[in-house]
Amino acid sequence: MRITNNMLINNMVKYIGNNLTRMDKYQSQLATGKKIQVPSDDPVVAARALKLRTDVAEIEQYQRNLKDAQSWLDITESALSDMGDIFQRAKELANGSDGAESREDLQATAQEVIQLRTQLINLSNSTYAGRYVFSGFKTDKKFLNDDGTFAIAVNNNEKINYEIGVGDDININVAGGDLFNNGNSVTAADIATPTAGKFIQDMDTLVNDLQSGNYNGVNDIMSDLSADLGNILRVRADVGARSNRLELTTNRMQNDNTNFTKLMSDNEDVDMTDTIMNLKNEENVYRASLAGGARIIMPSLIDFLK
Amino acid sequence: MAESFFGLNVALRGLYAAQRNLDTVNHNLNNINTPGYSRQQAIQVASHPMALVDGTGMMGTGAEVTGVKRIRDEYLDFKYWSENLSLGEWSAKKEALSDIEVQFNEPSDSGFTTIMSDFFDSMQELAKDPSSAAVRSLVKQRGVTLAKYFNSMASHFDELQKDLNYRIQTKVEEVNSYATQIQQLNRQIYITELDGSTANDMRDQRTLLVDKLSKIINIDANEVVAGHLPDGREDKHFVVTISGKALVDHFSVSKLALVQRDSAHQVNNEDVPSLYDVKWADGNSLNIKGGELRGYLDVRDGNEGSSDGPNGIVSPNCKGIPYYQKKLNEFVRTFARAFNEGYIDTDGNKQFTAGESIHGGHASGIGYGASATDGIRFFTMTGVGNQPLLSGDFTAGVTTDQQIYDMYNNVTAKNFCVSADIVNDYNLIATSSTMPDPSDPTKVIPVGAGNIDVLNQLLGYRRDSNMFSEGAPEDFMKSLVATLGIDAQQAGNYGDNQQVVVNQIVNRRLSDSGVLIDEEMTNLVKFQQAYSASAKMIQTMSEIYDTLINRLFA
Repeated sequence: MRITNNMLINNMVKYIGNNLTRMDKYQSQLATGKKIQVPSDDPVVAARALKLRTDVAEIEQYQRNLKDAQSWLDITESALSDMGDIFQRAKELANGSDGAESREDLQATAQEVIQLRTQLINLSNSTYAGRYVFSGFKTDKKFLNDDGTFAIAVNNNEKINYEIGVGDDININVAGGDLFNNGNSVTAADIATPTAGKFIQDMDTLVNDLQSGNYNGVNDIMSDLSADLGNILRVRADVGARSNRLELTTNRMQNDNTNFTKLMSDNEDVDMTDTIMNLKNEENVYRASLAGGARIIMPSLIDFLK
Repeated sequence: MAESFFGLNVALRGLYAAQRNLDTVNHNLNNINTPGYSRQQAIQVASHPMALVDGTGMMGTGAEVTGVKRIRDEYLDFKYWSENLSLGEWSAKKEALSDIEVQFNEPSDSGFTTIMSDFFDSMQELAKDPSSAAVRSLVKQRGVTLAKYFNSMASHFDELQKDLNYRIQTKVEEVNSYATQIQQLNRQIYITELDGSTANDMRDQRTLLVDKLSKIINIDANEVVAGHLPDGREDKHFVVTISGKALVDHFSVSKLALVQRDSAHQVNNEDVPSLYDVKWADGNSLNIKGGELRGYLDVRDGNEGSSDGPNGIVSPNCKGIPYYQKKLNEFVRTFARAFNEGYIDTDGNKQFTAGESIHGGHASGIGYGASATDGIRFFTMTGVGNQPLLSGDFTAGVTTDQQIYDMYNNVTAKNFCVSADIVNDYNLIATSSTMPDPSDPTKVIPVGAGNIDVLNQLLGYRRDSNMFSEGAPEDFMKSLVATLGIDAQQAGNYGDNQQVVVNQIVNRRLSDSGVLIDEEMTNLVKFQQAYSASAKMIQTMSEIYDTLINRLFA
């Protein structure tokens, strides 16, 4: 083939152009840390990248949900623990009142039980981030009035669920009735005629019996207090089990997050070592083609005709 | 004495011939970098010999240059034209599709996937705390961001379409300008060549113009024999045709014209008004089969060959701007239908079917606080003055399920927005299911501030694989981006391959017709020496005559 000067120049320009294109590719890979800049660089990687981004974003949201669920359950757990202490103390007080006390002592004991009752009412209105945890769906309303009667109707079905995984919900609240109303829902009828739940009723009975010196009554109420304590323990066990599940899910999500982030990185991040080597390699080729070009383009017969 | 100065004459011819050749070398060297130039060669022959009267035979009379020819393989021109056509089409498509690709801005941390994730994340936060003003405000803002993403995509697509329309206009003007230039060259070449010579340099220029045309539009260029000249040679006319109709026919040119489309010629529903149709200036329709014009037209009008536009005109079979606009419209319509009304097209027939519930979603729920009411649509469309419509205005006069379904056909990516109700009062974002108000049975109230039945339903739509034939909302967009990526990659690959083919032909042309300095320098030396030799001949002859004339009789 006859090789003309402009062929040499055209080819050289073309090869150096290709060279620069490849250098630019590695350069932008290094600068962005990503294998692809636009979907057409590699549509398969692009589609996977989109899916994995969504997955990772979802996992991160689930992790936030898990933390919030845990906090809510922690508040509930702590309230339940305090309630347990209250009933424990009430039982001790009732147990200690065996007829040997003076009337003043009994009054003092009754006063302490009244304080316990107030504290119980306060605990029934525990809040997490300003929301009442025992009020079912009506998180903006107090569960018990200050006098201990129910403030709102709360059905035991009013379960607040947090999404902690794909198709994985967890119930994070305890409906107040389940605890205070001996496992029953608080109905509209309970609101229409002010009613107090079993917890408060038992406390009231204890106070009355103490104040009136009714030792038999005090003795009788002991079994009720034990039952209340049992009720609290039942709910605590349930909350504890849920807490447990949250922990397991949290661990799993942590693993998922690590795995998916790694997958995402494997899919779209460049291998720096490889890319730097490639860039260096391209640079050598580029230098070589420039040097070669300079040799080819420069001389012609003119240089030798004197 | 007929032959007295014969030797001087022969030597003179030698001088002339060498000089002609040197001139050609000079011309070649001058034009080494002239685009389209093909090297020239002086045609040198031994001049007519002289019969000697004494019967000793023929006497050579030296050399003469009878013409200058250009070295060119016309087969390569035809080949170049046909391959350049494809190169033009694919490089135009590649360029236009990369513009679309940039619009989607994926994969990145600010594209659709991120915006959609942010929107649903904010709803997840709301699910945990439906009464929080801060979170409600966040959901509203993220909703607005989602809507704005589509608005901005839609207006960018409009801009791209206008931009392509402008490029088409420029290309058509280029075609007309080249056609006129070719017609002028035709005249000059024809007149120059009447005496039988060849207009080498003008022919090179004409071929260069056809080269340029061949990248823009499908052309055929030929010299057609139109009869015979008085001297018996063929009368050749140079003709350039597009799909069989002559663009340039010898001395006449018929131009292309741009016709603004009126509403009766609109191709796709999504098109911006007054796009250009390319026609012949005499009104005939033009079949553009390739080249940059085809590439730009395909991307500007391409809707996969669908004819569901307002006038039933078949669009080019290419996934161009209207295709992506249509897809974005489909997305916002379907998504808004599901989100607002709880409607999922479970049988996938893209219309309302009895049995597919339309009474769920955001409209079935209720927000928080005193202002809460049901029947609020989260997404509506913009109305007069580009302001978001109130939910009530959006649904005004709509009662039947079919009407509710059809109402969303008015929603486009361009007018998609968060309803004015939500924008004005984020407490209207529905989270809870409803129950009758005990104090006023005609009204409904939330089941409770912590109830998130409806919100959960809305959250579920993110993963509802029945929503689109492509799957869940994010799958739809993912597949759209992947489709675009594959198309752009394909156009790029075709363009690159075609570039290789064209480069190959260019190289063959250069190999054949290009000027080689070494060769010209060799010729320079060769003819310089021939010139010197002839000069020496003259000197010698002069000495001979000097001897003969001056010395002999001195």
